[in-house]
Amino acid sequence: MAEPLIEVDGLTVTFPSEHGHILRAVDDVTLQIAEGEVLGLVGESGCGKTTIAKCLAGRVVPSAGHVRFDGRELSVRRTTEDRRAIQIVFQDPYSSLNPRLSVRHVLGELLRVHRLVPQDEIEARLRELMGLVGLPKGALDGLPSQFSGGQRQRIAIARALTVEPRVILADEPVSALDVSVQATILRLFEDLRSRLGLTVVFISHNLAVVRHLSDRVAVMYLGRIVEQGDREAVFSDPRHPYTRALLAAAPRLHQVELVRSVVKGEPPSPINVPAGCSFHPRCPRAEDKCTRDRPALEPVGGCPAHLTACHFRDETSAEQAP
Amino acid sequence: MSATTASALGLEDVEHEVTRRPSVRSRALRSPTFMAGATLTTTIVALVLLAPLIGRYSPVSQDLLHTLAGPSGAHWLGTDELGRDIWSRLLYAGRTDLQVGVLAVLFPFSFGVFIGTVCGYFGGGIDTVIMRIVDIVLAFPFYVLIIALVFVVGVGTHGIYIAFGLTDWVIYARTTRSATMVARSLDWVAAAEGGGLSRTRVLWRHILPNTITQAIVYAMSDIVLVILAVVTLGYLGLGIQPPAPDWGSMISDGQNFIQTNQWLAAIPGMAVVLTGVGLSLLGDGLADILRPE
Amino acid sequence: MTPLLEVEGLVVEMRRHRAVFRAVDGVSFALERGGALAIVGESGCGKSITLRAIMGLLPNRGRLRSGRVIVDGTTLPADARGRGRGHHQRRRMSIVFQDALSALNPVATVGNQIAEAPRYVLGLGRRAARARAIELLGLVGIPDPDRRYHAYPHELSGGTRQRVMIAIALSSDPAILLCDEPTTALDVTIQTQILALLAELRSERGLSLVFVTHDLGVVSQVAEAVAVMYTGRFVETGPTAEVLAAPRHPYTRGLLAAALDVDSPEHEPVAIPGSLPDPLRLAGGCSFQPRCEFATGQCLTTDVRLQLVGPGHAAACLHSDVLAACQAAGHHG
Repeated sequence: MAEPLIEVDGLTVTFPSEHGHILRAVDDVTLQIAEGEVLGLVGESGCGKTTIAKCLAGRVVPSAGHVRFDGRELSVRRTTEDRRAIQIVFQDPYSSLNPRLSVRHVLGELLRVHRLVPQDEIEARLRELMGLVGLPKGALDGLPSQFSGGQRQRIAIARALTVEPRVILADEPVSALDVSVQATILRLFEDLRSRLGLTVVFISHNLAVVRHLSDRVAVMYLGRIVEQGDREAVFSDPRHPYTRALLAAAPRLHQVELVRSVVKGEPPSPINVPAGCSFHPRCPRAEDKCTRDRPALEPVGGCPAHLTACHFRDETSAEQAP
Repeated sequence: MSATTASALGLEDVEHEVTRRPSVRSRALRSPTFMAGATLTTTIVALVLLAPLIGRYSPVSQDLLHTLAGPSGAHWLGTDELGRDIWSRLLYAGRTDLQVGVLAVLFPFSFGVFIGTVCGYFGGGIDTVIMRIVDIVLAFPFYVLIIALVFVVGVGTHGIYIAFGLTDWVIYARTTRSATMVARSLDWVAAAEGGGLSRTRVLWRHILPNTITQAIVYAMSDIVLVILAVVTLGYLGLGIQPPAPDWGSMISDGQNFIQTNQWLAAIPGMAVVLTGVGLSLLGDGLADILRPE
Repeated sequence: MTPLLEVEGLVVEMRRHRAVFRAVDGVSFALERGGALAIVGESGCGKSITLRAIMGLLPNRGRLRSGRVIVDGTTLPADARGRGRGHHQRRRMSIVFQDALSALNPVATVGNQIAEAPRYVLGLGRRAARARAIELLGLVGIPDPDRRYHAYPHELSGGTRQRVMIAIALSSDPAILLCDEPTTALDVTIQTQILALLAELRSERGLSLVFVTHDLGVVSQVAEAVAVMYTGRFVETGPTAEVLAAPRHPYTRGLLAAALDVDSPEHEPVAIPGSLPDPLRLAGGCSFQPRCEFATGQCLTTDVRLQLVGPGHAAACLHSDVLAACQAAGHHG
């Protein structure tokens, strides 16, 4: 790809845990995100996707590795421009807005502090922002308690857009919303992305949403990327047993029969990551070497953009089906 | 642009879906606790403020010809052992006591909230050190301190101000610290910081409005505590000195006549109780109203 | 053959500030022995309150206005709070909640919590109750049950805690399991395991299931009958496959059009216009009318009830035939 907008290189985040153990939230993650693309970061709880988002946003300090933005290394102490460039939209619409401040106050303050528009144009800009996210201008004077979950998410998105970011990190932005409201917020994301050319890192455990919205996908398990590539490559030809398990487990509207559980047991604690391939205790395909050799994230035969961390990367789903 | 966007996203009637928020005033009116507390407190405050107008006598002028008189047209609540009008004394005493009550809380409130916010937000070494100081202060017996101070600075309200200043701030610090620690972990704080706002701004304009409500509510009952302390000191003869009236000394003086003229002690006692109840109800009511939906 | 569970005309009123509204407005259904019903709806539709009313666990703001719950032919008594369903109920129905962490007692071992009902409801002795608890731990698929008996809820993972909840629910030997979004808070791979466990319990122990969820994708895996709920009423009921493939109520159709399916990435989700009505301001007529593309003037005035539109399939809509025709002609949202 052309110079990527965001480069994550060997990112590792560890936290000290009790009894001297170490919790590996993120383990040697390398990623590139091109300008204007939507990267879907998929995984279940504890896989590290939220920690990566926090690193990108500067809220968590990496223990090792680098994050580069627009060619420059992002240090711990960020400039205001850098902080503005990457904005997060959070999952819980009920805790992502200050209950005591009106919408106008929150957005207006950002406009003023960053001097984004001249004083006399602030009101117009506020209305423009409301329009961008599909809210009436009357919403500006409201307090969060007056809005529904979907409306609050719109406000959160408007807030992220106020500082004119280049990247939006959307951390499970629709998971807490009802189905019919999810649809509107997803369309809003698509709309904004095409109109404003935003780069979006879309974090979700919901494969259907990720498949709908993303250009490229990275699947995470226990702090590591286990598969990444173009959306269709990963979804129609998954080359990692965990990806296959996620796909098999995803709820479907017209399920013919009960999904047979493809993976055994539960994810181990990130304090006790298994040796070799971290997925091997649950993997239906695991062999002896999986317990010793940690597979590297490498291209699937013939397709340099589709990477997977599995020793059996060249076997397709059909070949592996039990 | 907004109209087309709205319709494209199927949102023509979003306007109507924004529920009307009941104004603070209507919420206030709906809370019986608040209304009762506000009414009572306002009445008491109004009465004591109007003391020069409605108190018909000077609180110190004696009338030795009409001592220990019962309620009459001339003296609404009668006179005490020195012929002083009880009603006037009551009002002027209330002035002093309430004034001391509010002023004595001002510094602990401000200082405590400030310290608590700093500790809760920054944590680390500052937090540990200050919290240990808080523990030490809390262990101190308050009245011992006050009496010691009285011996140092002399009788009167100075001792009260200093004693409260030294000890009372810790409760505000603690509650504000907890509230700040909770707020700090919430997404909207992350969003404010991520938006590039300075820490001072986030603390002052974003976090504080949320964390200060508990402190405000507590301040109401704290004023009651100060008044009780003043009253107690007055009762012990260590507070406001005669002839300036003070509910505590009125009760203390009235003790001597408890068998014959109970009202001498009972009336100021009732005043203290009513003020206490009024402020408590006000505090509870404020808690009801200020709680975000 | 009498159905195992019959619910008739359940009406629950809830208080909000000073106003009262109907959270559940006339819900009726029947559950056969070994059968399963999924109740689907979005937040605030009343599905959780329905379960609680059946169990007799209404919150303080709620009041059971009318309705009967009949288990195996016997009507369960209930006071105005919906409580006091009696000892009898404890033997036939149990409930599993969504968030195991807050539903479990944090200071008691999971084993003791599972043993509680056998000990104090079924009257087993201490050792027998403990043995039963260990048996149940194994039954719900928790490895090493002897050791796990002594674990505390916070020491366990989300999936294991949910299994513990199910074990507790099974400990009083119920015939009916009421499940209130039991897998919503779980990861998707764990969800399949829990759903498989529930299916196993149904087939091996003849357990009947009422499963409340907001996730349409889960419904097909769980129950052969589904009821779609909106503003306190069932708007469509019927066999799951049929309702999902050929809905006869515009709300069901709207939900399906808005839902994303991982197998159909090209499907553009279409939002249902408008938003959930304020339950305090419901006018007469069909509650879905303000958002419905098929609505006519009649919908404003007629109080629509469920009507049969096919074998075992009912919809509360005056225009369900128009909908069916639309569907057949291939028009989708």
